[in-house]
Amino acid sequence: MGETEFTLLDGAMGTMLQAAGLPAGTLPETWNITRPEEVTAVHRRYVEAGSRVLYANTFGVNRLKTAGCGYSVEELVAAGIRAARAADRGEGVRVALDVGPLGQLLEPLGSLRFEEAYDIFKELVLAGEAAGADLVVFETMSDLYEMKAAVLAAKENSRLPIWSTMTFEQSGRTFLGTTVPSMALTLTGLGVDALGFNCSLGPAELLPLAEELRRWTDLPLILKPNAGLPDPATGAYALQAEDFARQLVRGAELGVTVLGGCCGTGPDYIRALGRELAGRKPGERPAPDRRGLCSASRTVPLDGRVRVVGERINPTGKKRFQQALRERDMDYILQRGVEQQDAGADILDVNVGLPGLDEPALMRETVKALQAVVDLPLQIDSSNPAAIEAGLRAVNGRAVVNSVNGDRETLEAVLPLCKKYGAAVVGLCLDKNGVPRTAEERLAIARRILAAAEAYGIPREDVLIDCLTLTVSAQQEQAAETLKALRTVSGELGLHTVLGVSNISFGLPAREQITVSFLTQALAAGMDLPIVNPNQAAVMDAVAAFRVLSGQDPNSAAYIERFAAAPAGEPKPRTGEPMSLETAVAKGLGAEARALTEQALESMEELEVVNRLLIPALDRVGERYERQEIFLPQLMSAASAACEGFEAVKARMARRGAGTVSKGKILLATVKGDIHDIGKNIVRVVLENYGYTVLDLGRDVPAEEIVRTAIQEDVKLVGLSALMTTTVPSMEETIKALRASGHACKVLVGGAVLTPEYARQIGADFYAKDAKQSADIARQVLG
Amino acid sequence: MEPRLTGINRREALIYLGYRGGALEGVEEELERCEELVLKTARPRAVWRRFALLPDGSLEGADFRPEGEDVQALLAESREAVLLAATLGAEIEALVRRTQVRDMGRAMLLDACASAAIENVCDNLCADLAAELAPLHLTDRFSPGYGDLPLSCQADFFRLLDIPRRIGVSLSPGGLMLPQKSVTALLGLADRPQPRRSGDCAVCGRFEDCSLRKEGIRCGRN
Ligand code: B12
Repeated sequence: MGETEFTLLDGAMGTMLQAAGLPAGTLPETWNITRPEEVTAVHRRYVEAGSRVLYANTFGVNRLKTAGCGYSVEELVAAGIRAARAADRGEGVRVALDVGPLGQLLEPLGSLRFEEAYDIFKELVLAGEAAGADLVVFETMSDLYEMKAAVLAAKENSRLPIWSTMTFEQSGRTFLGTTVPSMALTLTGLGVDALGFNCSLGPAELLPLAEELRRWTDLPLILKPNAGLPDPATGAYALQAEDFARQLVRGAELGVTVLGGCCGTGPDYIRALGRELAGRKPGERPAPDRRGLCSASRTVPLDGRVRVVGERINPTGKKRFQQALRERDMDYILQRGVEQQDAGADILDVNVGLPGLDEPALMRETVKALQAVVDLPLQIDSSNPAAIEAGLRAVNGRAVVNSVNGDRETLEAVLPLCKKYGAAVVGLCLDKNGVPRTAEERLAIARRILAAAEAYGIPREDVLIDCLTLTVSAQQEQAAETLKALRTVSGELGLHTVLGVSNISFGLPAREQITVSFLTQALAAGMDLPIVNPNQAAVMDAVAAFRVLSGQDPNSAAYIERFAAAPAGEPKPRTGEPMSLETAVAKGLGAEARALTEQALESMEELEVVNRLLIPALDRVGERYERQEIFLPQLMSAASAACEGFEAVKARMARRGAGTVSKGKILLATVKGDIHDIGKNIVRVVLENYGYTVLDLGRDVPAEEIVRTAIQEDVKLVGLSALMTTTVPSMEETIKALRASGHACKVLVGGAVLTPEYARQIGADFYAKDAKQSADIARQVLG
Repeated sequence: MEPRLTGINRREALIYLGYRGGALEGVEEELERCEELVLKTARPRAVWRRFALLPDGSLEGADFRPEGEDVQALLAESREAVLLAATLGAEIEALVRRTQVRDMGRAMLLDACASAAIENVCDNLCADLAAELAPLHLTDRFSPGYGDLPLSCQADFFRLLDIPRRIGVSLSPGGLMLPQKSVTALLGLADRPQPRRSGDCAVCGRFEDCSLRKEGIRCGRN
């Protein structure tokens, strides 16, 4: 092919080995050791076809997949690299350690932990570098989180260049929902050396995705498509070599420089591609014009439009939140997250700092739990660098750090973390001397922060400045200074700005008026990232109005939708007669149940409200359920309404610093090996309905986790569910493990495969044929 | 042939939730909303492949022989077999997870609707296959883990259909699929019309202990 600016990769390996006689069901990688000459022969054919980077035959090697094959990861990798290297007869071929998906899904969909995935990749990368690989390729990934674990493992444990390619569907998403912008932002941020797509689609289908990709990254791009789409009946691929090459050349015109083939392609395809590329130059690439933050599946571009940062995940001054953190009550925190997304937040601020608690661990846990239920980008909010790093590591996507300030110390501690994980950063206009009084001084600090960030290689678009809100009732002239500083930072420096606004109205009556008015002025001054409570309707109304007036809401569509349901100005219609708490619970009206509980709390003790109002209301609903007058969903909405009532009680007790209300803890799990969880969920709802606190570990839960939680949380009743004959043994093992641990507890089992006899045989204390019975047993055990 | 999700069998969803008749006051509308949400959120995907059956009951070129008397009976008159896998995708799972945080009741309705939805996808897939493969006749579909077809043969399905790459479903070491709303099955292709056995509890391996059957309800799956 002569001198070229393109890098030619190879094509498929597996099918070539099968053609060479690899028996079905044999791990292709074992041939690296048993038949290395065959592997080298395939590589050699690619070199002769023009490939200059060879992917070693290591795609499926990892501790999880190759455990039982008789060879260690090191052996398979070393032999794989060697077999590829042997195909170089002076052509100057580069050999890549090829790493595919681990084969087990990561949390939250699967059970493989991020840290565990990291370890497995680390082992591979160490083996690859030791064996002399020239680079590492992570390919065919559909989970951005898995890719992140892989990239971090390579970055932190080797000096190998990293190439990342993921597998997309025509919809522009991976199987797990990762979008092209999310991939680009996250991996560019993490500092890979090249990125792109492989597998899943043919060249023609990948082109639009490549076009999107280059708007979000300036890294070299890789395309390694399949030979078209496969025939469903036979699995054969559609494109011949010449057609494949002609289609793929259009990628080169888009500026893609690293090209090859995946499933269904062979040496002919690479040769044809080489011929098509000969004499061509890569197409001109315009500078990327998109930036932003993202989760794995949602991107929030930073383009000057208003993006609301939700501030509710923060214990400062919130007793109930503090209690939730102390008790590790993730549900409470998650509710704050989902609630804010539903209210229209674009980004969630996450602050879990509370003296006496392990902030890094809490941050890691919270970030992971949150991103399992909301798909918004996160703002890691802490002053503790270890907590910031824990959060940035756990984030699936591209986050922003809140915050640094003009102090050398914080800049030096935090900016390298932002650089390493590719995060944006909020810079507060203050330093050791506090908040400067004038806009000019604040501007000077903003410049200092910007310069420091740029010195660490963080681009200016990623530096978001907070000009700081001071309380107007205390320092009246400061409101104007803040706005003035905002105008210069966004106007002259051209930086994005964030601002927590609610502080402004502290100490004044009718705070909302002041807050909203200040918010509007700040937005008009160019502030694009307000940090607010999105549950406050007036605040979000103001944002909606601003978006219309500034042209950010085309045709006022979002505005109209927001107010179409409830015409502005008209108060919500109220039903005439007052409702009892019991009716509110029975009808499943959460907001009413909460309000009525609060009302009752004005004249009654907390425990009285629980025992005399809430529990009897639930009992009544439970009785109707038992008589089959109502059906599960009705029971459940009643339970959620009652929960709102309990929340009101808890909030009040938290304010007083009093204990908790619960009839006792019950652990529930569908045992290891089983995914059928409908029955277990029904049991959970019914037990909650009877006032028990249920720790639901989910489905496919390993015995160790059940034992650990039972001990940690001192649970006296453990309920296990199994629906398949194949999972009864794992139920038995779980019971054995519980007994062996010496933890004193009763075990209750259920599920369609079980019978009372079976239950006895496997050592359970109780069997329940349905959810109702489980409540009777709970009463017997826990009272 | 694209996998199709065309509707949700409400009765089936209700049975999963333990419904045994009685008032549905307020539930109907909620169910309708959940059905819509599931139809909108699911991204059904499927993969299938045809194999010739060898006299010993194994699949040609596959190094796989489905074990058990149930499959033997099912395929008695077939000369080919189709292996298939279908899923609703990961989005449904995320939706249910998220809904659980705020409203467990709705989450369970969604989950039951989704279980009914994956059955619908499989039913449609079989109908489409029947049309495409006519004049051959399809048997019922039968899944690993049903009757005496061991769950361990999931691994063969995964190998032969390249399921993770083709439809994004993964197999746990214990033989379970993730995302959860996923199904694998095989069916036979015969020259003669094949008896329908689904819904017939007598042939189900769980005949003895099925709690639904004891109450006179058929789950419609066996
Ligand atoms: C719905 C369903 C599914 C849904 C799962 C939905 C979900 N979220 O759970 C879907 C369609 C996804 C599915 C898939 C599969 N399924 Co399925 N599925 C069923 C089905 C039809 C109903 C189960 C159900 O939910 N019943 C309703 C609930 C309310 O009843 P319950 O669980 O018994 O619970 C009550 C009591 O038992 C008790 N209880 C239950 N747990 C507990 C726990 C405690 C502590 C207590 C006190 C009480 C208690 O209280 C509950 C309420 O009253 C059964 C068939 C049947 N007739 O049971 C097959 C069945 C369980 N599935 C089966 C199989 C094999 C599978 C697959 C492996 C098939 C395949 N190869 O594709 C896949 C696996 C998918 C995967 N991801 O790996 C087989 C298992 C066979 C066996 N060896 O035992 C069954 C029995 C079908 C059959 N006839 O063979 N399945």
